[in-house]
Amino acid sequence: MKMRDRVDHLSDQELVLAADGELSGERARHLAGCESCRARGEKLKNAASLVRMHPQLPAADFARMRLRARLVEAAAEPDVEQFWLRPWYGVAVGAMALMAILGILVRTHRPYEVPSPRLTPGAARTMDRDTLCNATLPKNQMVPADLRQRVFQAYGIADADPRKYEVDYLITPALGGAEDIRNLWPQPYVSTVWNARVKDELEDRLRDLVCGGRLDLAEAQKAISTDWIAAYKKYFGTERPGR
Amino acid sequence: MTAAPTLDVQPRGSALEEEIVGLFDLLREPLLRYLAGIGLPIADGEEIVQEVFLSLFQHLRRGGGRGNLRGWIFRVAHNLGLKRRSRTPRPSSVAWEWLSDPAPGPEEQFFQNETERRVQAVLRALPEQDRRCLMLRAEGLRYREIAGTQAMSLGAVSMSLAKSLARIARAAER
Repeated sequence: MKMRDRVDHLSDQELVLAADGELSGERARHLAGCESCRARGEKLKNAASLVRMHPQLPAADFARMRLRARLVEAAAEPDVEQFWLRPWYGVAVGAMALMAILGILVRTHRPYEVPSPRLTPGAARTMDRDTLCNATLPKNQMVPADLRQRVFQAYGIADADPRKYEVDYLITPALGGAEDIRNLWPQPYVSTVWNARVKDELEDRLRDLVCGGRLDLAEAQKAISTDWIAAYKKYFGTERPGR
Repeated sequence: MTAAPTLDVQPRGSALEEEIVGLFDLLREPLLRYLAGIGLPIADGEEIVQEVFLSLFQHLRRGGGRGNLRGWIFRVAHNLGLKRRSRTPRPSSVAWEWLSDPAPGPEEQFFQNETERRVQAVLRALPEQDRRCLMLRAEGLRYREIAGTQAMSLGAVSMSLAKSLARIARAAER
């Protein structure tokens, strides 16, 4: 009989569950009718209160005021989620880094359809129209090797294949352009629509217009040095080169 | 056992701020006591409690879950508390004298010192995780909430509480 009583009584673990209202069925009915179990349950509850700490705590006023101020501040900030904690963030960062590297590589070998205004603003000799038109001026005079190399370096393509580029005069000597690094840039022969051969066509057209008295020399120089592609479209009346 | 705070509404803006302050008023002291019980100075505990409620604000502002908020709050406080403690070169030990009830009744006063000494001895002898479960129970957390806070299984928590509470009860009876 004694053994049976011991088996039927609730274990301490069951008493913990009972305190949380998580005991049901037969065991809950036993507890309701067993004074001994209820007394043990009370002892366990009281035991929990014995381990409660009683430190001297500062009044809550200051802490509450501080929290209120911080909440107001937090509410005013945009709700930016800490997305770097998300699993996809690492993948996204990796992809962006790869794109940035590819971008640098592409830029390194990017064909320069138009020169950098900073590196190649254009430079011209002082020359009037009659002198220009009566002189036999080369369309593209040879650029010295060291100057060519400086141009390539300035554009960050020092190791590029020189056969693929013409180090071109932005303002052609045939229009008074100077042999000056500020008037030179590496223009690709092929691979782009607006290549060196297309610009040669423009240079011929502008010289014809200037020497034919239909275009002011300074205006021609300005047009070709500001945006030679726009100038081509304007003086050929087309959006794309013919060949 | 203290009932878990009931939160059925979804306030936004200033109403949410008021709700956070309300929870702060309700749980600041239990949190500070728990953090003191794991060996943090009160000043550190205050800092952590601030961080907990700011985190709660962000959590609710983003539409985070409202089920078992008290368990969520204690879990965040527990994790921040352990992190803070690990950064301290010499973590302070638990001030056991805080077990003393500063305002006991006249009858309790007589037995208090002896009982406390025995209870402290039991607490010191408990493994730290069992002690944490016990401290959380003392603050009124249900065993399910404790399991969430401590990342333990329900069975492990109920077993730990049953053993520890029985030992404390025996020590108090002697």
